[in-house]
Amino acid sequence: MLKLRKAEPRDVPDILRLIKELAKYEEMEDRVLLTEKDLLEDGFGEHPFYQCILAEWQEEQSNEEPKVIGFAMYYFTYDPWTGKLLYLEDFFVVEEFRGKGIGSEILKLLSHLAMKTRCGSMHFIVAEDNRSSIEFYKRRGAEDLSKEEGWRLFRFDKDSILKMAAPAEE
Amino acid sequence: MDFKIRAAKQEDCKEISRMIIELAVFEKMQDQVKISTQELERDGFCSSPRFECQVAEVSEEHKSSQGYTVVGFVLYYYTYSTWMGPTVFMEDLYVMPEYRGKGIGKGLMSKVAQVGKEKQCTRLQLAVLDWNTRSLDFYIMKGARNMTASEGWHALRFDGEALDKLAAEAPKDYKSDLDTN
Repeated sequence: MLKLRKAEPRDVPDILRLIKELAKYEEMEDRVLLTEKDLLEDGFGEHPFYQCILAEWQEEQSNEEPKVIGFAMYYFTYDPWTGKLLYLEDFFVVEEFRGKGIGSEILKLLSHLAMKTRCGSMHFIVAEDNRSSIEFYKRRGAEDLSKEEGWRLFRFDKDSILKMAAPAEE
Repeated sequence: MDFKIRAAKQEDCKEISRMIIELAVFEKMQDQVKISTQELERDGFCSSPRFECQVAEVSEEHKSSQGYTVVGFVLYYYTYSTWMGPTVFMEDLYVMPEYRGKGIGKGLMSKVAQVGKEKQCTRLQLAVLDWNTRSLDFYIMKGARNMTASEGWHALRFDGEALDKLAAEAPKDYKSDLDTN
């Protein structure tokens, strides 16, 4: 039986475990540098950077503790054209629990949270070779803004930021 | 030409709104602009601001042909990478055409980098349109990498009917502190 609930500080070990599993699925496991301590401070401190939904599974008629088998991490961003947006940063269901509609349930809950907090839309990024995820989202009505409108994601890493932040006379 | 980069104040929202529309016109998407000056004021200057903004200002003697002294802006917010922690996302960066080539864009972006550095951000991200070669070149020259080209990342969106439809089917028993958002 599935239950979706808001993550609490005690869930940080499970959140990090699932972040690493998703990174492994994306073949970028060695890029996860966050620790449980970072996640705790960043998500459950005075100014949280993120919100998290957990998917818990408990076998019918079992005395075992429910297992955390999926998660979605999101935060709120801003579009100067339309206002508040919900940004979905990570979204993952462990392999053995896929195909049961759990991902769908999480996505529906996120959409409901978006509407309730006056967000005009929900945004996220997907790697273009992740065909099954792209199909999942497109089947439910998502638009690929990179393909349809030509948006390209650009990134400055820490060295570039430090270089730009150094004061320079104009 | 001297210019000053400073944090936006609530009263700057009228000029920021004007420049948001100018940027949208440049991006050929002006019909997508739906929010007003009042909404910008509410969302940027409330107790939990949704974004931060820096503006570029020139003196009266250098005001624009229409009399404006606020001639550029950058709007940004903080995001989170599950791999690296806090990041800053630069949503809009704009300098009025008659003030380009004077280092104002660079000055605005440096300010965002400074602010990001103070907040321990490990990345500064942004989205650029693929035909906007002048901007693409500007960012690449400053050290940005095109993550769509190099790693295949695409930006996706649910809005309008698709979002409504998903929301209507959500489970009803979820408890959250929505009033904090």
